[in-house]
Amino acid sequence: MNKDKIFKLAKGFRGRAKNCIRIARERVEKALQYSYRDRRNKKRDMRSLWIERINAGTRLHGVNYGNFMHGLMKENIQLNRKVLSELAMHEPYSFKALVNVSRTTFPGNKAVPKKEGLSSIL
Amino acid sequence: MATTIPTSAFIATPHRCSTGRSSAIWVQKAQFSASSSSLGVSLSLKRPSLRLVSVRCEANGAGMPVIPAQERWMYEESEINGPDIWNKTWYPKAADHVNTEKTWYIVDASDKILGRMASTIANYIRGKNLATYTPSVDMGAYVIVINAEKVAVSGQKRSQKLYRRHSGRPGGMKIETFDQLQKRIPERIVEHAVRGMLPKGRLGRTLFTHLKVYKGSEHPHQAQKPIPLPIRDKRIQFVKK
Repeated sequence: MNKDKIFKLAKGFRGRAKNCIRIARERVEKALQYSYRDRRNKKRDMRSLWIERINAGTRLHGVNYGNFMHGLMKENIQLNRKVLSELAMHEPYSFKALVNVSRTTFPGNKAVPKKEGLSSIL
Repeated sequence: MATTIPTSAFIATPHRCSTGRSSAIWVQKAQFSASSSSLGVSLSLKRPSLRLVSVRCEANGAGMPVIPAQERWMYEESEINGPDIWNKTWYPKAADHVNTEKTWYIVDASDKILGRMASTIANYIRGKNLATYTPSVDMGAYVIVINAEKVAVSGQKRSQKLYRRHSGRPGGMKIETFDQLQKRIPERIVEHAVRGMLPKGRLGRTLFTHLKVYKGSEHPHQAQKPIPLPIRDKRIQFVKK
């Protein structure tokens, strides 16, 4: 790539990396490598952000993310995590309906009460 | 019933008057009007997302101009229909995290296990309990801790847990036990615990300033009307054996 193209891609870089060709070429190469890698990472990061948001939204209603998704899978509800997170933020009543659907299908792992003394053997 | 949510309602792009998207939602709201009181407690009604929905309806009536079909090619999709909220992940605007409108919580630290309490505090300060959580933005709340000198630890930690700091010079390591530090500066124990649980970085340092720890049971934040921090951990109370 010729120098003009490099400098065009090096806009906003720190120090000599935006002015001097030797340094700019290195930084631009690195920047392009990062952008290649991060186009793939972005998909992962976004999904993890949606899952965190859905988790927070369902915990407001007393259900955690794992049990919620298990219930949805059982009911064959095909909504993806992107849409579910947007629902949790912008449409709280619809989201509560979804949580109830999931809860009726899969009430979650109820903690087994510990039996004390003789009743544990019986 | 609730199972028959039409999925088409969620995939449809928002129309100018947003009736297409909201029509299914109005049905849901009617079904849940009876239980709205229970919903009103768990949802924070100050959430900006609710404001987002109502503003769009108003904007479509007054702010958004009606563009005739012949001229629609001249404009971008966001100018015709409004911002696309279903295909782009929401990112908070400045108005969504104004510090003056954040909730304030208060915790009484007497006889609470240090780490368990610090964990819930850090979650609330970071904003991980909200559906609008964003890792790069400070969406969390403020937390006040009172009676910090009465915080409890289990086992032998009271005499064995060490707090270390280094002045930077050779031989400058200072070591203190939990007991000694509690006598000297009791607030530092809770601050140290919560700081270790917050992210480290520029944002983490700003989040840390949202924690207010006090020694006695008095605090100067009555004007912020703090509400008690909801703690769901069942093993947080210190039980003397």
